[in-house]
Amino acid sequence: MNSKPTTDKVANSLNRRTFLARSGVGFGAAALTSMLASDSFGRCRTHPPGPGLNLPHHPPRIKRVIFLCMAGGPSHLETFDYKPELERLDGQPMPTSFTAGQPIAQLQGHELKCLRPLTKFRRYGDSGLQFSDYLPFQSRLADDICVVKSMVTEQINHDPAHTFMNTGTAISGRPSMGSWINYGLGCESENLPGFVVMSSVGGRNPQPIASRQWSAGFLPSQFQGVEFNSAGDPVHYVRNPGGISRNLQRELVDSITQLDSLRNTQVQNPEIRTRIAAYELAFKMQASIPELMDISDEPQHVLEMYGAKPGDGTFASNCLLARRLAERGVRFIQLYHRGWDHHGDLDKFMKICCDHTDRATWALVTDLKQRGLLEDTLVVWGGEFGRTPMFQGKGGVGRDHHIKGFSMWLSGGGIKPGSSYGETDELGYHAVKDVVHVRDLHATMLHMLGIDHSRFSVKFQGLDMKLTGVEPARVVHDVLA
Amino acid sequence: MAAFVTTNQGKQPRNANFNENTCDPVLLRWQRRALVFKMTLTLTAGINWRLTTFSLLVICFLGNGGLSLGSDQERPISFNRDIRPILSDKCFHCHGPNDESREADLRFDIKEDAFHVIEIGNLEESELIRRITDEDPDSRMPPAEINKPLSVDEIEILKKWVQQGAPWSEFWAYVPPHKYEPPILKSNARFGNWIDQFTVARLEEYSLGLSAPADRTTLLRRLYFDLIGLPPTPAQVNAFLQDQSPLAFENVVDQLLASKHFGERLAIYWLDLVRFADTVGYHGDQPHNISPYRDWVINAFNENMPFDQFTREQLAGDLLPNSTESQKIASGYNRLLQTTHEGGLQPKEYSAIYAADRVRNVSLVWMGATVGCAQCHDHKYDPYTMKDFYSLAAFFADVDDEQHFKVGTNSTPTKRPPEILVISDKDRVALETAKAQTDAQSTKVNQLKEDVAKLKQELEGLGKSGLGKSGLVDELDKTVKSAAEPGVRNKPINQQTEAVLPDAIVADEEDRNAELIANLQSRQSQVAREENQLKQLIRDQSEIESRGAWTMITQPLPAPRIMRVLRRGHWMDETGEIVQPSVPGFMGAIETDSKRATRLDLANWLTDESRDSGQLTARVFANRFWYLFMGVGISRSLDDFGGQGEPPANPELLDNLAIEFIDNDWDVKHLIRRIVTSKTYQQSSLESPEIRRVDPYNQLFSHQSRYRLPAELIRDNALSISGLLNVDQIGGTSVKPAQPANYYQHLNFPQRKYIQDTDDRQWRRGVYVHWQRMFLHPSLKAFDAPTREECTAQRPKSNTPSAALALLNDPIFVEAARMFAARILATADSDSFSARIDRAYHLALSRSPDRDEFRILEKLYNDCVAAFEQDPGSATNLLAIGQAKPKASTEIDPTKLAAWTTVARAILNLNETNTRN
Repeated sequence: MNSKPTTDKVANSLNRRTFLARSGVGFGAAALTSMLASDSFGRCRTHPPGPGLNLPHHPPRIKRVIFLCMAGGPSHLETFDYKPELERLDGQPMPTSFTAGQPIAQLQGHELKCLRPLTKFRRYGDSGLQFSDYLPFQSRLADDICVVKSMVTEQINHDPAHTFMNTGTAISGRPSMGSWINYGLGCESENLPGFVVMSSVGGRNPQPIASRQWSAGFLPSQFQGVEFNSAGDPVHYVRNPGGISRNLQRELVDSITQLDSLRNTQVQNPEIRTRIAAYELAFKMQASIPELMDISDEPQHVLEMYGAKPGDGTFASNCLLARRLAERGVRFIQLYHRGWDHHGDLDKFMKICCDHTDRATWALVTDLKQRGLLEDTLVVWGGEFGRTPMFQGKGGVGRDHHIKGFSMWLSGGGIKPGSSYGETDELGYHAVKDVVHVRDLHATMLHMLGIDHSRFSVKFQGLDMKLTGVEPARVVHDVLA
Repeated sequence: MAAFVTTNQGKQPRNANFNENTCDPVLLRWQRRALVFKMTLTLTAGINWRLTTFSLLVICFLGNGGLSLGSDQERPISFNRDIRPILSDKCFHCHGPNDESREADLRFDIKEDAFHVIEIGNLEESELIRRITDEDPDSRMPPAEINKPLSVDEIEILKKWVQQGAPWSEFWAYVPPHKYEPPILKSNARFGNWIDQFTVARLEEYSLGLSAPADRTTLLRRLYFDLIGLPPTPAQVNAFLQDQSPLAFENVVDQLLASKHFGERLAIYWLDLVRFADTVGYHGDQPHNISPYRDWVINAFNENMPFDQFTREQLAGDLLPNSTESQKIASGYNRLLQTTHEGGLQPKEYSAIYAADRVRNVSLVWMGATVGCAQCHDHKYDPYTMKDFYSLAAFFADVDDEQHFKVGTNSTPTKRPPEILVISDKDRVALETAKAQTDAQSTKVNQLKEDVAKLKQELEGLGKSGLGKSGLVDELDKTVKSAAEPGVRNKPINQQTEAVLPDAIVADEEDRNAELIANLQSRQSQVAREENQLKQLIRDQSEIESRGAWTMITQPLPAPRIMRVLRRGHWMDETGEIVQPSVPGFMGAIETDSKRATRLDLANWLTDESRDSGQLTARVFANRFWYLFMGVGISRSLDDFGGQGEPPANPELLDNLAIEFIDNDWDVKHLIRRIVTSKTYQQSSLESPEIRRVDPYNQLFSHQSRYRLPAELIRDNALSISGLLNVDQIGGTSVKPAQPANYYQHLNFPQRKYIQDTDDRQWRRGVYVHWQRMFLHPSLKAFDAPTREECTAQRPKSNTPSAALALLNDPIFVEAARMFAARILATADSDSFSARIDRAYHLALSRSPDRDEFRILEKLYNDCVAAFEQDPGSATNLLAIGQAKPKASTEIDPTKLAAWTTVARAILNLNETNTRN
């Protein structure tokens, strides 16, 4: 209460050993993972970038990424990729020239038949981009986004496909893109983590999602994604125990700091200084996170624009929170909306999922744009894969998982607005023109952040690990303005 | 490295090898530091970030190879220390073991090939030197697009190497360990055993000695945390401090090595290596049955099972002749990997994923090798080929995964046969008795039924004479049955059945068949009674069984899966060569008389001390045991003894430890005893400025390490200090302490609700906590417990706000603080504040507080009392957290207890409380 926190002084006086210990010679993880509280430039306070990096490699076009992860795999054929030929072949056998030798998920051993697009497509905006009728709000973004219609991935089941989308490999234990980016650039927020993940309620029987998806893998733990919950404690253990006021908690933290400092005069352990800073930050987060998560201070018209109600845990609320996180300098914001796994009842569930997400998606991009935040933010929309042009009848008309061609869209600073890139074949099966692999997406994202993916590596088990892995990856310059 | 180096080649005269393999960390640090000082004005406190980043970049450029600068002129180049790391990191990508990526048909991992471009002693004539110094950027090596430029110093050292005659030696990790004579020390240094001779000899080269011994309290605490993972009680500390015997320390070592908690402590590390968890890990992350395997590991360490046997039973317990239940449980190792039960999975794809997972694990755990890198191509840095990868996978092609592909669904509990039921010894006896009784009873019932059937037949035969009235037998059956139901038996059965019998029959006592009917009646009643008895016995039996735990085991398939080389690692490509189980080609072969080699052969090969392979395994583990007790490996890369790993800082010490391990028949406790009884282990962890300058990474072992306790021990320590820890039972199914509500909200198939244990299982040790791979308990995770999806040889030790929040606010720690407070209040002799705080400090830190500490906590206490007095409701709220009930007989004043709880929270949160010094 009356003891002034000594943090700033302490945090600035990190000594040589801490830096040496963090220098990453051989990347001995143990010594590396101490957390710095601040730097004398005032940037990257909570989580400075990893040591020994000289980033950015080139001037960045964006500062942050908002990744709208439509978990389950939304159908490209019912959203952005209109295929009249599929309409014509509806109900007929899928030509084997498309499917021979291809990996297939739940349709293994079934007869493969074509399924027409389940709704109409129209052109919108000056760009004339096509949107399905399931997306009445996103169609208003026709002149703000770039639709990539030629995405491919390598994993056909949800869990590994998410892992692949997030880490560039299906092997567990690798860092996710949000961790990589924060490791490379640090975060700009004073008292929030640099990588925040939220998942919304609602939708079809939702696919599970693992915390592996926001794991820091072999990078230091402070770069892992922190999950913010809309119900209960917004972050684990962020609330004081019952009966403990903020003042009392303040005094407790101050007492711990004083005792640790005393100890440190005897033992000179740099870890203690780091720890004192971590406690101070933790205490600050106990106030800043609940404040951030409480959207009731937003004006009514903003709540309405998103369709958000404070505390409802919906995708709409999370989109609004994403904007608040972006405003506060969070580097990588990932929103999961689960429920896009439409093996059956595609029409019904498309309506439900779009009802949950379409308006808020539009509102987020529009709100960011109005506030000037879109200029240095990249918004990505997409699932871990797409869906087959073939019919699946698991409780009504539906589609199976599909990895050989699907759509995502990008919007924001440096992205060519109102454009589309790449094509699938006439049935929407294979990406055939300007194919964009997941690692190309990663390379492009890193490029926009000022990072050359081929030079951004960390040693682990003797290898120079990269988000984009060892296979060739390219920056898709054509989607950049 | 084309041929594996034989044992003899490794055993060169000590001096020759000494220079060759010695890594010189101190010089490295000096060199690095010299460079850093050139670049920055200062690197001490208060430097600005950008400058530091730049300096660090320079440090990183120097890489992990050794460099020679200035003062190092006269020191001869060591190939393994100075040259190979540069070649590996900068050149092997195109000029290494990988055939596909090799350029210009030139490789530097083989001496003969490398010497095509090296003229010994002649820089001008050496193509290697010419190309790395070429003025033309297009010709200069390494090519710019590789993004691996050689630094000026690296070029210099390569030049110097060529000038000095380009000495070459085999890669250290593939040369079997050699036993060295402990060096004669120059100084009159104190040493405890031969370990110290090796460490002190190295220190003497830098005019240093070991640090002062740790004070006895610190030493005891260190030993307790290291060997059993629990803090010593005040009484144990006191006893040790009082014990003046020269053997006092060794006695405690022996006592702790014999403790049943030793196995729990060691298991934490082993379970990380083999990725033990309670759930499948992919998609639905359903629970699977495996906890008996964890208990097997604990028991194996407690019983000091020799490491070779420990290896054999895990990899191939099922293949041992007349394998015991315990060995079958151990074979659960092969089932520990992540599995999926997602709808639409392709078994072939997952067979390939599982095969790769097993290769990664077995090679990292036992060989310290990254064979996993050879899944899609030959290894770029080490001599493992793709064929080696798939041949190693073939050892595991007989592990039955097929059953769970067929029956494993998106539901719980996940069906993962083959499994066995494991029960306690006591229950085993009870179960055997019950089974015998059931069998006997079942025979009896069957016999009776046969009798009844015969009688019925006879009686039905009477139907013709009118006496065996149609339906009579059925009617009798029904009556007997209902009469035999428990609770209905209010009348003798005979009386009940009599009522059914037609008067005519009863009346006709003289009839020759009357006896038959009576007989039938009595037999039928007996059947019903005995059947009830049987049912009860079966119920008893299943109740005993329900106290047991199922566990996944390995069961060999009659026909192993076909294993072929998957081109580019792609599971759909079936054109690759079919391979048989075999060990990496450059390491020799297993002789099996042309029979298919088995997992048992692999396990034997890995631990065959008469072969190189076993000796290399011993070195991998000697390094890890050293790490466990010194906080840093002799080679710091615990999971990579390959070309990209770090050479050992004290190779002679590492080799001798490996040989000590083998010579004592893989005796784990012996090796640990040897390490902890050395003076090197018993040094202080305080770093003098001199030590900090010369040996910042502790590669000279000039001091002990100090570090935050591992996640499980953070928990154990807090619960132990508070008196809450439930430590008596060893083993059992995994336990579920409190965790945040809705933490499993993102799990599905099925939706999951975490049901917290409400009995005293919730206060069991961290090693028993339910390990949900996808959502590990947040407090364990905050302290860097790994998800155990992959092998973890070394946990990071982070220091984050998330960890601070957990230790401050997790109800488990608040509850522990409350119980700690109750303990302080209940046990202090005097009710003065100072007596209590003294007691608290002794419980948590094994010492008394000093005056400043006392004042800080006194102030906290007084402020808390004031706050809680002002708002008594808040004290009640604080004290309501957790389910533990204090044992105190008298009612404690809530204000006092709440205030002490806050003081206890402060103590539980101290760095010192949570640090192993």
